[in-house]
Amino acid sequence: MKKKVQALILTGDGINCENETALAFSEHGCETKIMHVQDLIDQPGLLSKYQILALPGGFSFGDEIGSGQILALKLKYSLGVALTEFINNKKLIIGICNGFQVLVRLGLLPKPFTERQMTLTHNRQGYFINKWVNLTVPQSKCIWTKSLQGKEIALPIRHGEGKITFAGDQAMQHNTFQSLMIQGQIALSYTEDVNGSYQQIAGVTDPTGCILGLMPHPEAATSNWLLPDGTAKKSGQAFGQHFFINAIKHCEEML
Amino acid sequence: MKTTYRFEIYPNQHQSTDMSLSEKKMTEWFSKYCNIRFDKLFKVNYFLLESNEAIPEIDGFAKTILTDSVTDVLFSSKSKNMDVLSYLGKRGFSEPVLCDVSFKPGVTDNSAQAVLEGFKLIPDLKKYELNVASGECYYLQSAESLTDQAFEKVSYEKLANQLLHKVTIQRKEDIAANLRMQAPKIVEVVSTSHEATTIDLKIDNSDLMKLNTDNCWALSLDEIHFIRDYFKTLDRNPTDVEMEVIAQSWSEHCKHKIFASHIEYTEGELPAHMKKLGNFEVKSLFKTFIRGATEKIKADRNLQWLISIFHDNAGIVRFDKNVDVCIKVETHNSPSALDPYGGALTGILGVNRDILGCGQGAKPIANTNVFCLAEDSFFKENNIKLHPRLKNPDRIAEGVHLGVQDGGNKSGVPTVNGAFVFDKDYVGKPLVFCGTIGVLPQVEHNLSTAEKRQQPGDYIVMSGGKIGKDGIHGATFSSMELNENAPASVVQIGDPITQKRLGDFLIEARQKNLFSSVTDNGAGGLSSSVGEMAGLTNGAIVDLDRAPTKYPGLSPFELMVSESQERMTFSVPKEKIHQFLQLSEKRNVLSTVIGEFTNQGQLLVRYNGKTVADLNLHFLHESLRPMQLKAHIDQSSVEQSKNAHWLNGKIKAEVKPTDAKAQLLSLMASANVRSHEHLVRRYDHEVKAATLVKPFTGSEKIGRHAPTDAGVIWLYPHGGERDNAISISCGIAPQISQYDAYEMAVWALDEAVRNSVCVGADPSEMVLIDNYCWPDPITSTKNPDGAHKLAQLVRTSKAIYDLSVDYGMPFVSGKDSMKNDFMADEVKISVQPTLLVTAMGRVRSLNHITTSEAKNVGDLVYLIGPGQLTDFKKQLGLYKTLHQAISLGFVNSAHDVSEGGLAVSLTEKIMSTTLGLEIDTELDLFQESAGRIVVTIDPKKQKEFAGLFLSDCAFLGTVTGNSQLTIKNQFSAKNTETLAAYRIKAAGALS
Repeated sequence: MKKKVQALILTGDGINCENETALAFSEHGCETKIMHVQDLIDQPGLLSKYQILALPGGFSFGDEIGSGQILALKLKYSLGVALTEFINNKKLIIGICNGFQVLVRLGLLPKPFTERQMTLTHNRQGYFINKWVNLTVPQSKCIWTKSLQGKEIALPIRHGEGKITFAGDQAMQHNTFQSLMIQGQIALSYTEDVNGSYQQIAGVTDPTGCILGLMPHPEAATSNWLLPDGTAKKSGQAFGQHFFINAIKHCEEML
Repeated sequence: MKTTYRFEIYPNQHQSTDMSLSEKKMTEWFSKYCNIRFDKLFKVNYFLLESNEAIPEIDGFAKTILTDSVTDVLFSSKSKNMDVLSYLGKRGFSEPVLCDVSFKPGVTDNSAQAVLEGFKLIPDLKKYELNVASGECYYLQSAESLTDQAFEKVSYEKLANQLLHKVTIQRKEDIAANLRMQAPKIVEVVSTSHEATTIDLKIDNSDLMKLNTDNCWALSLDEIHFIRDYFKTLDRNPTDVEMEVIAQSWSEHCKHKIFASHIEYTEGELPAHMKKLGNFEVKSLFKTFIRGATEKIKADRNLQWLISIFHDNAGIVRFDKNVDVCIKVETHNSPSALDPYGGALTGILGVNRDILGCGQGAKPIANTNVFCLAEDSFFKENNIKLHPRLKNPDRIAEGVHLGVQDGGNKSGVPTVNGAFVFDKDYVGKPLVFCGTIGVLPQVEHNLSTAEKRQQPGDYIVMSGGKIGKDGIHGATFSSMELNENAPASVVQIGDPITQKRLGDFLIEARQKNLFSSVTDNGAGGLSSSVGEMAGLTNGAIVDLDRAPTKYPGLSPFELMVSESQERMTFSVPKEKIHQFLQLSEKRNVLSTVIGEFTNQGQLLVRYNGKTVADLNLHFLHESLRPMQLKAHIDQSSVEQSKNAHWLNGKIKAEVKPTDAKAQLLSLMASANVRSHEHLVRRYDHEVKAATLVKPFTGSEKIGRHAPTDAGVIWLYPHGGERDNAISISCGIAPQISQYDAYEMAVWALDEAVRNSVCVGADPSEMVLIDNYCWPDPITSTKNPDGAHKLAQLVRTSKAIYDLSVDYGMPFVSGKDSMKNDFMADEVKISVQPTLLVTAMGRVRSLNHITTSEAKNVGDLVYLIGPGQLTDFKKQLGLYKTLHQAISLGFVNSAHDVSEGGLAVSLTEKIMSTTLGLEIDTELDLFQESAGRIVVTIDPKKQKEFAGLFLSDCAFLGTVTGNSQLTIKNQFSAKNTETLAAYRIKAAGALS
């Protein structure tokens, strides 16, 4: 029998999209395990069993200070070694919304194990927004977006702190952006300015293309029934599922 | 030595020095509502960290926890590393004034909790005893010269709430000298507890009533006499703990005394339009009209899918092969009047806990919320000065909206349906309705999940938050009108993250079979939760001194009735307690054994080994005699009630446009029609990825700005069948109450049902939830027209009985809130009798899902339903036929006709698409009524469709591609015009 890809989905401490994220993987033949952060901290060795790690959306620790900040610290202090090994083995990681914020604050995006270059901060509007947005998927190294590259897609956003901001003065910010462009690390862009994000960036991948962080929610766009109006439900496309299909396919080839 | 640090977080030199959009909005707010212009406003968060001894290198740790290295700099009291005045200079300040907003001691401080957890993660800090408080600095600059008092006063208008916060004003020189950094200090709660005391009730009546008021018992003199007589038979006086337990158990809020009372209803000569009901007696409105309706329907229809109704925290129904669904809707009006944010937040979290405490514990999957609010502009336009104790209604609106937003979003529960209703009379008490839907497996560990199974000998375990003074007397307080003496301690702030952890833990513990029963700690606190659970085993012993507290100094009675949030009470079999507590600790949830269930018939409460309450459960729960009330309505009581209105004669007559198109545009922009998209999109409405019909719809090209009729939730992601969903909708019509409360209830109930039918729910599998919010219906000197309001209550109840029985839709849960009046200095503001009906229906196949927007050029437009809803049985037939047409795939869109009448409904169908409508009709375009739906259908199915309805549908016209509504021989209105009017407040707010 063919071996199944294994995905680990973290939960606890205010994460709240674990079910739909697990469902998005399992609907496409992946075996999933939803695990409380604390259980993984108690047994970090469990991580090596999985090919995919997902940090779902939510409000970890209530997002009372910088979103994702405290969960990132918790993971850094207690799972740093296991995570480093996971990344070095070119396994796949996805951080969606709050999970993206955690990956950024952990220093894993845009480039693991270097000084922090970017952050996600309060939307230009100053508050939380839930709406469907159109996105372009540029050519990039990202494994998760492979089959979508070159297309325009639609996904929902649901965040208050999704504005990508780079460190340093304008010139330095521009340099960071340029280098991400050149290295194929911009994984997803909004077609219009939805939250003030730098150059309308919506998602970023690491230099290997294994790690993806994105603000929109692909796990909430996995079925036509979830699309946002009556016409779309009949004739639209549920683009979100392809992120998961691409990742599973990649891992299957690696197994 | 105890050391306290202060850390302030500022944007670094690479960030914009302009005001942020939210800061700009605040300055606009001040200029609009306080008539003060701030040309600069800058908000900075700060934290105080207290340690039992000085911490070397603390700034480095603080940076790690508190700042984002990309965007922030830290200003620390340790190193005093910043010249704030020149920093402010770069932001354009020359004469800054600082309003420092900190929490009063004992107020829930969620940011501080999160930061404390952060500090505790750092290995080097584990050895210290730490405490954290948070606060906000507002730097303001105004061209006008204002006194410190003036700054303080305006701060309390917007930046702070007097009940929760302390504001300190500092001038430029203090800012320059960093005065606030000199000796930072976290202020602790100073409180002294007292032992339980006995209370002598053998005193005269006026002294008894004084005791009653002083202690916030909200009992009637009759009830106090009853208690006195009871204790006489025991040959002792009650303790303060016992009096508090009795008062909250017998409060209107918990006991629903008015709904349980014996009422003699009489009618005199009625205005012609009012339905005559005749004179009759009702033993209990609840038993006769609500549970009575459900029992009749259950028997008539032989319903098997009503699993648990009326006796648990929520009603449970079976609309799926795998999971059961439960639903509850609550109100949180009084707390929201005092602290709109905290009141609404705890409203949402509280009703979530009702679901968590339903059966063996259900998982919340969706929220609803309905606000009834007033608008400041109404009073301005009519030159009405509001009583100084009334909060600005716009600020209430902002607060309750933010509360629901945080409560839902941070808990990961989508807000799928709701409404904003505006009326001047909600200025005294806003109504905040919060609903939650939950799922639970039908069977787990081979047992039904709908049952509670506590046994004598099981431990009583309190889990979640600690007990503080917050929320003491919430239950009794909400059973009184809002007056000057409202205690500050009733204000509570919710803590979503503590509750999220508690909820996650509860579901996990249920799956692992670690407890036998659970209920929430809502109104009345432990007294209520333990008191209720003890009813099943027939007894409980509680050791109050074991209960964890937020700070020292709580008296036994406070521990017993405090409504501190985020707490659930479990019963845990002794052999499982170890595992239960272990899992709880691992999930960062505080759980404490505080006693055990017995079967001795008594609620025994001890404090440090001493008995402080020993109450017979039968006396507590069963002995209270129903009140005897009289309800009367006639022509003159209707007139009197109109004349007694607090604004009688002060309101300018509305000028209605005579031109039909202008009338349509003005309606589209009116308070109860126009879009609230800018507010609703700030709620997460699709977390959990199961929201199939969302609050808005339309086309991709124009944007999705048009309202939908109901939320539809897919059950598959929640463990249900793949092709199965439920609808959630609501109906409310307080504007009709003055006309007739019977009619009002018909409109509300029918609207809820109609909305669900529109989205594809099956009317033969639909349940209802009733929420009454009434002005005081008991006659007294302060309330001379009580009998009239009680008659309105009877009429409403009779109406929902009549309609629900004819529709065959049972009530599964409900709630009433009876004292929605504001009183101060001779001003009495009462809400209009308000009934919210929530409907939950089964959508048997996803193919039945129908949205409100027109879809295709050439589709035909039909109106279904009569001009007036009088034949209820026939109306049900129409809904069934429409549902059949939907199931057969004939219907491409369906939308109800409600506020604004037919023209508004037609407009809403096209305004957010590129389509148009050509309508040819003689009907009144603006008449509002219950019972009507506009549909568009596939022209190829016209014959079959018309065949189903025969004469009960009217052909109105066709769908065109020209982006405008055309009413033949009357007018045309372009979608761009109607949408702009509809979005008058919403447009631009999200871009």
